[in-house]
Amino acid sequence: MILRPAPILAETAVSAAGVYAASPQLLQLSLAVSVLLFVIGLVGFLTRRNMIMMFLCTELMMQAAALAFVTFSRMHMNTSGQVFVIFILTVAAAEAALALGLVVLLYRKKETLSIEAWSELKEC
Amino acid sequence: MPLSAITPYALHIAAAIGALGLYLLIRPGNPRVRTAGTLLGVAGAALFVAAAIRGLNRAFDGSAAGSLPVVPAVMGLIAIAGAARMVTHPKPVFAALYFILVVVSTAGMFLALQAEFMAFALIIVYAGAILITYMFVLMLAQQSPTESVGDVEGGTNYDRVPREPIAAIAVGFLLLATLGDSLFSTQSELRHTARPATVTDAAERTWRELEAMPRRLDATVSKLRAGAVPIPFADGRLIHVAKDGSAMVHVQVADGGVVSFLDLPLSDDQAPTNTQSVGLALVSSFPASLELASVILLMAMFGAVVLARKQIELGDDERREAAGMRRISMDDPDPPSSSGFTSGGSTSSAATVGGTAPGAGGGRS
Repeated sequence: MILRPAPILAETAVSAAGVYAASPQLLQLSLAVSVLLFVIGLVGFLTRRNMIMMFLCTELMMQAAALAFVTFSRMHMNTSGQVFVIFILTVAAAEAALALGLVVLLYRKKETLSIEAWSELKEC
Repeated sequence: MPLSAITPYALHIAAAIGALGLYLLIRPGNPRVRTAGTLLGVAGAALFVAAAIRGLNRAFDGSAAGSLPVVPAVMGLIAIAGAARMVTHPKPVFAALYFILVVVSTAGMFLALQAEFMAFALIIVYAGAILITYMFVLMLAQQSPTESVGDVEGGTNYDRVPREPIAAIAVGFLLLATLGDSLFSTQSELRHTARPATVTDAAERTWRELEAMPRRLDATVSKLRAGAVPIPFADGRLIHVAKDGSAMVHVQVADGGVVSFLDLPLSDDQAPTNTQSVGLALVSSFPASLELASVILLMAMFGAVVLARKQIELGDDERREAAGMRRISMDDPDPPSSSGFTSGGSTSSAATVGGTAPGAGGGRS
């Protein structure tokens, strides 16, 4: 399922509906960039050991999600997608405020930003 | 011919190349390996984008064939390169700067996607506010250089050595292949169920938005023709949108004592701007979410205040006094009480950890 090859399929001509409002190339490009940014953010979240950097990688993933939202908003000419980006910004700001406060507290406790200093929290 | 033979797997091959490049970048290696990783990563990203667009042209039977938009493509590649450097850079401050690069180039792509308001909001809020907060915290919580072990190219040990890079990149590759298949495969469900908006749909949506803003419609109409008041068409709509996307509004003009009716065509200049559309969608479609967002921000503010509050150790008597009760022991006003402060306390952890000076509190375990 995961690595299912994309078959060559040429008979679906969706273009009968008319001229598209947005350039499909641009939409596809933005989606591809969004996917790549999200995956890079995920890899960064998994590999970085600095707590602040892990939060920064979360922000990168949110950024990718925002790009996908805006792309689909343009694709369907529906501004609701851009409204969701406003909410993403809200959540990112709240997360930055709370998470960074927590990180500073944790840093004061152990004098290090390494996430492995807190590996006792996982109880195994 | 060989190219078309590998096309079904082109996305996966590109993802694999990009994953290999990211792995070479992530390992703390010599500059030559890093250069190779950069080249591989850029090649993988470019191939991925190219494969996605190639699949698109195939799905659209060539009728949507057009040139690749160059400026957004360059911005996208800059964003990807900045992101890759961000997750691999050993110094957190530089990584934050690379993230600003990502934000700015993403905002450029937003501009290309005609989301001007979100582009500038993104720069102001992300690059301007959130990243500055990150910078502050990075500076506050900086490791002192004497503590860092084996300081070769700057950065501390835990910043230079990645954790489980092979497993993480394998996970990332799988996710990339899955997402690529579901989004860009010509056979994916998404491509057939979600039809992009045509020019007619776009015009319809745009003019319906203007219709939903009565005061702006009045202003537009009176700017087109002084003293004109829009009145509905026979179908009850204020704006009539034709099949070719052109729109017109029916108005009543009272000129002196003579009342006349006429149709005014609307041009693209009268369409609502992006900011107006977003504002309309925000308050008309998502009012409850808007309120919820304000509550989230308020709670985040409370939380930040609680977390950042300075820890003051109170003895039993001070607590009684603060609660409005009478002191019990009159001889010693501030005994160093240990009962009120347990570092492992679960209920009052937010109030017990912290303190501005690290050595001041007894909270270190």
